[in-house]
Amino acid sequence: MSIFTPTNQIRLTNVAVVRTRRAGKRFEIACYRNKVMGWRSGAEKDIDEVLQTNTVFVNVSKGQVAKKEDLVKAFGTDDQTEICKIILTKGELQVSDKERHTQLEQMFRDIATIVAEKCVNPETKRPYTVILIERAMKDIHYSVKPNKSTKQQALEVIRQLKETMQIERAHMRLRFILPAKEGKKLKEKLKPLIKVIESEDFDEQLEIVCLIDPGCFREIDELIRCETKGKGSLEVLSLKDVEEGDEKFE
Amino acid sequence: MVVTSLEKMIGLQREPTSIRNICILAHVDHGKTTLADCLISSNGIISNRLAGKLRYLDSREDEQIRGITMKSSAISLHFEKGNQEYLINLIDSPGHVDFSSEVSTAVRLCDGCIIVLDAVEGVCPQTQAVLRQAWLENIRPVLVINKIDRLIVELKLTPQEAYSHLKNILEQVNAITGALFTSKVLEERAEKETETQGISDSVHGDQVYDWSAGLEDTDDSHLYFSPDQGNVVFASAIDGWGFGDKEKIDKIVTSLGLKVGARESRHADPKVHLNAICSQWLPISQAVLSMVCSKLPSPLDITAERVEKLMCVGARTFDSLPPETQELKKMFMKCSSEDTAPVIVFVSKMFAVDFKTLPCNKPRPLTQEVIAQRRELARRRHAEKLIASQGQELPEQALSGNESELTVKTGETKGDKQELTSQTESMTLKTVEQEADKESFIAFARVFSGVVRRGQKIFVLGPKYDPAESLNKLPSGCSAADDLPSIPHMACCTLENLYLLMGRGLEDLEEVPSGNVLGIGGLQEFVLKSATLSTSPACPPFTPLNFEATPIVRVAVEPKHPSEMPQLVRGMKLLNQADPCVQVLIQETGEHVLVTAGEVHLQRCLDDLKERFAKIQISVSEPIIPFRETITRPPKVDMVNEEIGKQQKVAVIHQAKEDQNKIPEGVQVDSDGLITMSTPNKYATLSVRAMPLPEEVTQLLEENSDLIRTMEQFNSSLNEDKKMHEINQKILDRIQEFKQKLEKNLQGRKWRNAVDQIWSFGPRKCGPNILLSKFEGYRKTVWQCLDKTTKEVSKYRDFDNSIVSGFQLATLSGPMCEEPLMGVCFIVEKWDMSKAEEQMSANRQDSEELDATEQTKNEDKVTSLPSSYPTESSSENKKLQDGSQGSPNSSEKSSKRKGETLLADCYGPFSGQLIATMKEACRYALQVKPQRLMAAMYTCEIMATAEVLGRVYAVLSKREGRVLQEEMKEGTDMFIIKAVLPVAESFGFADEIRKRTSGLASPQLVFSHWEIISGDPFWVPTTEEEYLHFGEKADSENQARKYMNAVRKRKGLYVEEKIVEHAEKQRTLSRNK
Repeated sequence: MSIFTPTNQIRLTNVAVVRTRRAGKRFEIACYRNKVMGWRSGAEKDIDEVLQTNTVFVNVSKGQVAKKEDLVKAFGTDDQTEICKIILTKGELQVSDKERHTQLEQMFRDIATIVAEKCVNPETKRPYTVILIERAMKDIHYSVKPNKSTKQQALEVIRQLKETMQIERAHMRLRFILPAKEGKKLKEKLKPLIKVIESEDFDEQLEIVCLIDPGCFREIDELIRCETKGKGSLEVLSLKDVEEGDEKFE
Repeated sequence: MVVTSLEKMIGLQREPTSIRNICILAHVDHGKTTLADCLISSNGIISNRLAGKLRYLDSREDEQIRGITMKSSAISLHFEKGNQEYLINLIDSPGHVDFSSEVSTAVRLCDGCIIVLDAVEGVCPQTQAVLRQAWLENIRPVLVINKIDRLIVELKLTPQEAYSHLKNILEQVNAITGALFTSKVLEERAEKETETQGISDSVHGDQVYDWSAGLEDTDDSHLYFSPDQGNVVFASAIDGWGFGDKEKIDKIVTSLGLKVGARESRHADPKVHLNAICSQWLPISQAVLSMVCSKLPSPLDITAERVEKLMCVGARTFDSLPPETQELKKMFMKCSSEDTAPVIVFVSKMFAVDFKTLPCNKPRPLTQEVIAQRRELARRRHAEKLIASQGQELPEQALSGNESELTVKTGETKGDKQELTSQTESMTLKTVEQEADKESFIAFARVFSGVVRRGQKIFVLGPKYDPAESLNKLPSGCSAADDLPSIPHMACCTLENLYLLMGRGLEDLEEVPSGNVLGIGGLQEFVLKSATLSTSPACPPFTPLNFEATPIVRVAVEPKHPSEMPQLVRGMKLLNQADPCVQVLIQETGEHVLVTAGEVHLQRCLDDLKERFAKIQISVSEPIIPFRETITRPPKVDMVNEEIGKQQKVAVIHQAKEDQNKIPEGVQVDSDGLITMSTPNKYATLSVRAMPLPEEVTQLLEENSDLIRTMEQFNSSLNEDKKMHEINQKILDRIQEFKQKLEKNLQGRKWRNAVDQIWSFGPRKCGPNILLSKFEGYRKTVWQCLDKTTKEVSKYRDFDNSIVSGFQLATLSGPMCEEPLMGVCFIVEKWDMSKAEEQMSANRQDSEELDATEQTKNEDKVTSLPSSYPTESSSENKKLQDGSQGSPNSSEKSSKRKGETLLADCYGPFSGQLIATMKEACRYALQVKPQRLMAAMYTCEIMATAEVLGRVYAVLSKREGRVLQEEMKEGTDMFIIKAVLPVAESFGFADEIRKRTSGLASPQLVFSHWEIISGDPFWVPTTEEEYLHFGEKADSENQARKYMNAVRKRKGLYVEEKIVEHAEKQRTLSRNK
């Protein structure tokens, strides 16, 4: 057992380690913190700003440098800089504080943008602004989950926001053309799924223009196809029913 | 002095000769409100001692705190001169430039105005502005030179110096008046010239215009201010003295030195002393009011010129009005209060008052009867209470039946009663609370003719009302009480309440004769900001108010708590009604935008919104600025004006990665920017190219978006074989014309046949981008409605929608920052579907062997189809069936299912894949071209005097503005500068320019067009020269990139930015860092 000697210990306070396993060996490189993600996304183009040193290690914190034959065996070359680049792009890394912070912030924005795009104020039929949605998300203390897609989370956020403010998914405008025979029966079935029926025309065929919640679309689609055996048709008139243009108060 | 009774006022209202409607105008802080205070104190409404300190007419809290007036308010005063009694309707107006709209509303209602000048500061920018306004409204001004004491106390001028200083000021004022006069004469002359030119062919003998006569012929002596004419008063409102009468002037001119000396010696004494002496010796109210009464016109003296000006909207001349309307002019001139005269009232603004302050809700002294009644009630209640207490005791004591029954009965009745009273009480309480919450709007108006009575029915005429039109429709001699057909811009209403405006208070009136200023309640529903009221439908709406300042400061407001949105919207609506110079709008992005005249005005609007109208917390931000994305031709020269391609490229490390990033694998790019891409299932291949449209074409498309929209609607109905609603010939002609124009603008080799190949417009099917189809075997264009050919059935038809949708999506959000595209043409050069067809035919053969189990499986898959699927696939199936005619009926269904399987493989439905592929192809096609951002531009008109011209230019160039032209206004020393300015830079522009020029220049901003920002947002220095010139990063220069990154950041998109610019090097830190 070695004696614990704190004076000799050099703590790696500012090193981000990127590792990879190749040919049964572990390889590590020492990078600056908060820089690796920048390299991967292409924002940082100067490799010297990313790498602390272009040596490849077996263990960075112990300072064990990888052997040349191992490198050749694993990477097929002994050019340290090239290997560093490979490890940088493919290796696993620990995300540093600022990187994580910006990532989460970006996701938060992204979620808010998606929500603002999909939703309207049901009273005015106008979208909310992203800033307002962001504030509302902060009010309900929504925490971003980094491993779930932003779209999924946005749907979750909409559900939660409905409890605190007036918000609704923007309606989809659809047109069905149903054969007269099944029309009546089908209409009863569709009714609970439809929000507003805008027009109804019943002569040879039943034609309905209506607004629905986008969440119900799949259900309606399926219903119409199964019930009419492909004879009925469904057409999307607009994906989002929002007011267009500026409105002046008068 | 005694408070004048209401009855006396009402009595005086009946005599137009003794009425004076005046307003006080001046630059900010020249002492308008103080002067008003002095005048009010003469009527005993406030004490003499408080005059000048109280600022009685500044009733708002923020007005008192800031010490500036923010809204105009009126008060009626009584004045006796000799044995003649006068009623003076005094309107105090704000002097700050942000509130000049309030000045406009006040000036309109008056016949004369008092212009107040600071003796030290002299003529200031707002003085010029108010003089101009008074001039435009044709009202007669008198001058009050205020703060004379400052000359002595602060400047320590000798009497001789003071005299020359005052003379100087007078000359300045007269110079402005003279300039206004000359500019008008010149204008008239120019008008006459054009007129004579216009009618030169048909000149009548007697219609010879003497337009050679210029200034010398027109008499202007009555315009100028001079103590000789008695229209100037020298005063010190804070000390309450002033003089201006002729006899006193004589006295002063002769003994000026002496008097000033005496005053100086007295000044060592406390101010009260001076005040007491001077205000008794030379009372200001006496001086000012007597001047007002003698010099300013009464409502009777309204000039014909002014009446005509009021009655003619815009460019219409008085002669072109219908004869009935011209008749009304006489009524105006007569200003008669007879019952037969038609009532004409002009409402210049609506102002909100607290519901509680309305006279009907004021606590009144109780009459004897009421007191007696209440006493009775109280007594009864007391008695009941007594009985009740007895009743409670009784049942305990006496068990015998009779008595207890009795008490129970009384108890019951009493209980009922209590319930009732409590109910009614709570109800009244509730209503009171509700109403207390409400803001009540009162119209600030003046009667120009006739007598207004409470409960009278009257027409409300909007600004666009045309008397000629309605006179044809209405039976002659009808009144507002009759049942009338609805006429545009006209409504009927009942005047609910009439008020006498007394500064902070209101007094109820039964009727108001002509020539008076009044408040009208209950017009809230009918009048938005200003209107004309009349009993005669022949009355024209008055000319709109001249606003010196137009709203330019834009901000977006939002509630702090998102759930309070409805309150905000309601509050903004109320604010819009209460303020003549605010604009409120909801943008397409959902932002609520408030447009105000300046920062101070904005602050007031926000305070109003927070405390009165919405009563919620709000936050304010810069509004979102829209951009457009486009492409250009590749530039010939680089950023340092060197020819591209000749310079040596510097081998820069960071350029290495760039190009591979943009375009992924599987997409072929030709050298000239043709993108070829396949759908994920490899069944279809698209080749797309992007080209910039000529500027004129883009403009043409922008202008005709409505036309394109109708065209689109028509086409879609054509395609669906639906009720062919006939398009009318006029529109067809317009479409034809539009097409020809497009052809004219799209010439050259590149655009051969382009117009005939237009497939669609985008985004939203009517935008300024074009989709062309240049591949073989397809001829569907937007011009269907013109030739009305029957649609052809081609193999592409069924998927045509997907391509168009892909194009629409691509144009709606571009690759740079997801903003819409503009002026881009996408050309589909190839569309290969051969593989898809092969598959289909192969499937057809298999179809018969298909078994039922597979069917159900397929159905599951099919459920995941997107929107466009059903219509298309069904038609697809029909085609399949056409091919396999011989197959038995039973297999029909299975073949159908099989067809769908082809189209819905593991990548999702085929139509969806096409949409996505088309969209991606368009985006890549854009990315290989030089992309540019387009910024929205304002045109900006600035009026400035010569001395501040340089500073105007400095502010403009700092904000990336470009001056288009500069010219001098004829007859004045004002310059008019026209410039363009990016909307993105306009926030705070108006304020900055005002500050830098001390208010001598005021800009007006109007949205004009989109302009390409010349810089490439992705540009980095590549050549040696650029390197030298811009350095390695060059981010200081790149405006386009700044804009792009700001938008991307706002939208939560990825921004190419380093989190840390320079990495921290390793330091060995101590354990407890």
